[in-house]
Amino acid sequence: MSSITPAPPTATSETTPGDDLPQVPGAPTPTMKPVLELSDLYHRWKGPKPPVLDDVSLTLRAGEVTWIGGRNGVGKTTLLRLAAGILLPQRGSVRIGEFTPSSRGGRYQRQIGFLSAGDRGLQARMRVRQQLDYWARLAYVPRERRAELVASSLRRFGLEELAERRVDRMSMGQRQRIRLAMAFLHEPRVLLLDGPRNSLDADGYRVLGEQIEWVVGRGAVVLWCSPRGEDRVLACDAGYTLEEGRLERVE
Amino acid sequence: MRPWREAMWGIVRRDAILFASYRTQFVSQILGPLFTITLFYYISHLLTAKTIHSPGGYFGFVIVGLVIVQILTLSLGIMPITVRQELVSGTIERFLVSAHGPVNGILGTMLFPLINAMLTGVLMLGLATVIFGLPLAATAVLAIPVSLLGMLAFMPFAFILVALVMAFKQVTSATQFIIAGLAIVGGLYFPIAVLPGWIRWASEVQPLTPATDLLRHLLVNTPLAHSAIVDLLKLVGFVALLLPAGFALLRVAIRYGQRTGTVAEY
Repeated sequence: MSSITPAPPTATSETTPGDDLPQVPGAPTPTMKPVLELSDLYHRWKGPKPPVLDDVSLTLRAGEVTWIGGRNGVGKTTLLRLAAGILLPQRGSVRIGEFTPSSRGGRYQRQIGFLSAGDRGLQARMRVRQQLDYWARLAYVPRERRAELVASSLRRFGLEELAERRVDRMSMGQRQRIRLAMAFLHEPRVLLLDGPRNSLDADGYRVLGEQIEWVVGRGAVVLWCSPRGEDRVLACDAGYTLEEGRLERVE
Repeated sequence: MRPWREAMWGIVRRDAILFASYRTQFVSQILGPLFTITLFYYISHLLTAKTIHSPGGYFGFVIVGLVIVQILTLSLGIMPITVRQELVSGTIERFLVSAHGPVNGILGTMLFPLINAMLTGVLMLGLATVIFGLPLAATAVLAIPVSLLGMLAFMPFAFILVALVMAFKQVTSATQFIIAGLAIVGGLYFPIAVLPGWIRWASEVQPLTPATDLLRHLLVNTPLAHSAIVDLLKLVGFVALLLPAGFALLRVAIRYGQRTGTVAEY
């Protein structure tokens, strides 16, 4: 994990509802170095259906933000789950540098931050700080940095006042902020976000945009999936739609 | 090893927090065993079976069986339910995308139920001794390492059940069937000698029988059916044979789910 020098943006700057949605990369020009490589991915669910992914290839280079859209059920979540290593490809490969999801010691997983679709994946009866500390342990964040990164995540996602509250007593938007905080906490090189705008208010969306801008500025990549075009990061480096198992570039 | 250890501790801590957040759970976990002990205490007054050679009579004999059933229920029985809950709530996905990984994550999930089961077992013996005058043997403290060995011998059964949950999602009835079956052939409520000959072989091919034999001897001085060395060797043999096999099966089930996509289903 690389260390951070500049302080990340926090969720404390003033906003009013209806502020402009975030314009993400104004940040660095993407370099040529590939970070996440999806090659010839093929996945077919059981039954007499066509493959949901049919030889899909995608390379994200350092500092790039990529958006993938498409109809419900078209395979966006499957693609992200393959990239996250939750699913293993039936054919093709997923790589971050020299690592694959099967690499020993969780070396691949240490480099990804994953936000699943919906509102699942939280320990409902834990407090927010406990939740983040728990995730930091699973992500193998070194003990010396754990408290600092948990505190930083609480600050960055505007969760400081909620830190000692139980997750199941929170609104959907607040839960989404916690889920996002977990995805960003361990400073991953690859952020895989499935419907990240889900339940977020305008301020939450602004915070998300700032955090994305900050991580891509450090050379991370972001793969953002959402069904609707208006949900995407407005100034992403590349946009695709997934249709009949294939990616088609959109301008 | 340190990140691994800290992640494991994180999972135990998580489960302890969740357990403590349900305030009535602790009370019911005391009252349930207390009522069971009371029930068998009075039943034992009706029984004067000559096949039971325990100094504490049938009560001394059965209390060890009850403790073992409680431990099996709270560890072996609860594991598939816990993992299924993790699947439904999506928290198992956290293991899948973490450096700790799903196999370690599930291993960690087993720790709190095992600790809880052990403490409940100790509590039951304490209640039986203090309230009902169970004559606890001086060797009782040696039951702790034997219990740990017994738990290791039973971990593979938990692995198998969890592997089935990962593959087929629902195995609650199988768990009850396994625990009840083990209670019969392991002699938890009655001596194996009263079983018909055609089923008695089943007592020799699972780890519950030697574990129960040893624990009864150490806790309430019941004479051993075999020598202690034979029982210990059997337990070690079961651990050496079944633990790697159960672990491998769990890995295969998770990879199967990741390959077919069913790992995300519930």
